[in-house]
Amino acid sequence: MSNIVPLMQREWLQHRFGWSLMAGVPIGLALLLVAFGEVQLDPGEAEAAGDALPAMLAAASIGAGTVLVFLIAWLSSAILVSGLSRRDHADRSVEFWLSLPVGHSRFLAMPLFVHLLLVPAAALLVGLVGGTLVSMVLVGRVAGMGAWFALPWATLVPAALAAVGRLLLGLPLATLWLLPLIMLVVLFTAWFRRWGLIIVGVGAGLGSYLLELVFGQPLLWQAVVDLVRNAALSMAGASQTGPTLQGPENALAVLGALPGWVVSDFGHALALLASPLLAGGLLVAAACFALLVDWRRRGAQAAG
Amino acid sequence: MNATEQDLLVQASHLTVRYGARRAVDDLSFSIAKGRVVGLLGHNGAGKTTLMKAMVGLAGAEGSLQVLGLDPRRDRVALLQSACYIPDVATLPRWARVEELITLMAGLHPKFSADRARQLLRRTSVGLSDKVKTLSKGMVAQAHLALVAAIDARLMILDEPTLGLDVLSRKAFYEMLVDEWCDGERSVVISTHQVEEIESLLSDVLMLNEGKLVLSLSLEDIDTRFVALSHDAAVAEQMVAAHPLLRYRAGPGPGHAALFDGAPPAHVQALGQRMRPSLVDLFVALTRKPELDRTQF
Repeated sequence: MSNIVPLMQREWLQHRFGWSLMAGVPIGLALLLVAFGEVQLDPGEAEAAGDALPAMLAAASIGAGTVLVFLIAWLSSAILVSGLSRRDHADRSVEFWLSLPVGHSRFLAMPLFVHLLLVPAAALLVGLVGGTLVSMVLVGRVAGMGAWFALPWATLVPAALAAVGRLLLGLPLATLWLLPLIMLVVLFTAWFRRWGLIIVGVGAGLGSYLLELVFGQPLLWQAVVDLVRNAALSMAGASQTGPTLQGPENALAVLGALPGWVVSDFGHALALLASPLLAGGLLVAAACFALLVDWRRRGAQAAG
Repeated sequence: MNATEQDLLVQASHLTVRYGARRAVDDLSFSIAKGRVVGLLGHNGAGKTTLMKAMVGLAGAEGSLQVLGLDPRRDRVALLQSACYIPDVATLPRWARVEELITLMAGLHPKFSADRARQLLRRTSVGLSDKVKTLSKGMVAQAHLALVAAIDARLMILDEPTLGLDVLSRKAFYEMLVDEWCDGERSVVISTHQVEEIESLLSDVLMLNEGKLVLSLSLEDIDTRFVALSHDAAVAEQMVAAHPLLRYRAGPGPGHAALFDGAPPAHVQALGQRMRPSLVDLFVALTRKPELDRTQF
């Protein structure tokens, strides 16, 4: 019997209120501010933008809305995942879940999948829709509703979809890069409760210091920095180049070039995966997961 | 607990569970047949919870343990499809509504019947839309029992299921257990401190003392094996000389009683009146510590 869907459903039932707030509050606030706040544009820049102003405002709104909701979702997921192994200890329901016929691996893996991939991915799509709504209000206030309907949608839509698609495709890659760090925190939190994060942080710092003392290089710290940097590049910028916005005059050209750049950038992000650092990191993540499964198999009690 | 091999739902042989150097469960051998209601009795720390965890694959054990013909540790998922378990510290997830738990259980447990759970919940004061965090402890216990009783299982393992509940909640819990679960085919293992309350439900007793099994017997056999004699204080010395397992005050008056493993000598029997030994007295007799020796009062 497949219990993957019920395990995902459990996440929805438990977190739907928080997720709704996470997506609704920033978009709602942005809509309120744009609708009822004062919109001030630099007269010189507005004049320089000329006919491109509505398109630039729309692109900025859509981009900012999408990235804002995504970042909030991703950060809250990261915080939630760090305490995932012990969340059912808080209301003492851990033994209820342990009494159900669900394999330990599946029970641990499904929430990670939901919080690390599905929720940020869904946030991207919600952010895209929310950003589009904000763009409608903003452009409507600055240039009138007619200007919003008259936007160069043939350029904007492919650009927005390409940008969101790039982030969606980059998300699993970024998660792969960050997985060793995430799994270390999850494991140590399982073992040492709230001290887990501190132990991982202090361990990484102290380990780097000692390695620098012995080998003259902060290998551990460098590995952590590279994992985080490559995770960021997996989301965007792996090609280190891209269409540059020089001013209002090339704004539409930049948007038009976005789909092509996205394909090339994602190719570079994929190429980054061929790395011994990632292979080592994934081995660490797999070992952490195996230890987590063993921890749960032994009844999910604290170590020591 | 005489039964054919295929009637045995649980078979343990030289079962030991260690926590570090300590043996929480020490060399237990017992079996549980189908249709039995087994009381697992013991003081705090006697090993009851550890044994139950081992029976559902949540504690590693040495020796041999078969539950429903499966190795609990290796076949935990398969076992929990046919054996349900209410742990001692368990509460239902506080964030969930009862109806949501039914939905989740229906998805996660192949032998769970949502209709049956709703039907069982109608016996209680728990509403389907109630959030667990708004329920009293007794209502949570009832809801939990209704959920696990809706599983088409052969064995139910209850670890102190009524701990901390008031008497009405305990009564309601056990009434539902008897009415909705005990059908002569399915078995229950219950650990509890409220021995008097469940004595009438039990068909068998497993008694643990410091990890060791000190008694594994059906209640009918207890009546034939153990003899309690009520007697006057005047014959107390003769009773003590016959080495009873336990001497205790019987009833509110000055009467005393002595509990023997096996029939006492005929001259001692003549000194008192035979009565049925209670499970509590037997429990005290078999699990007492020397410093609490009740033969000296």
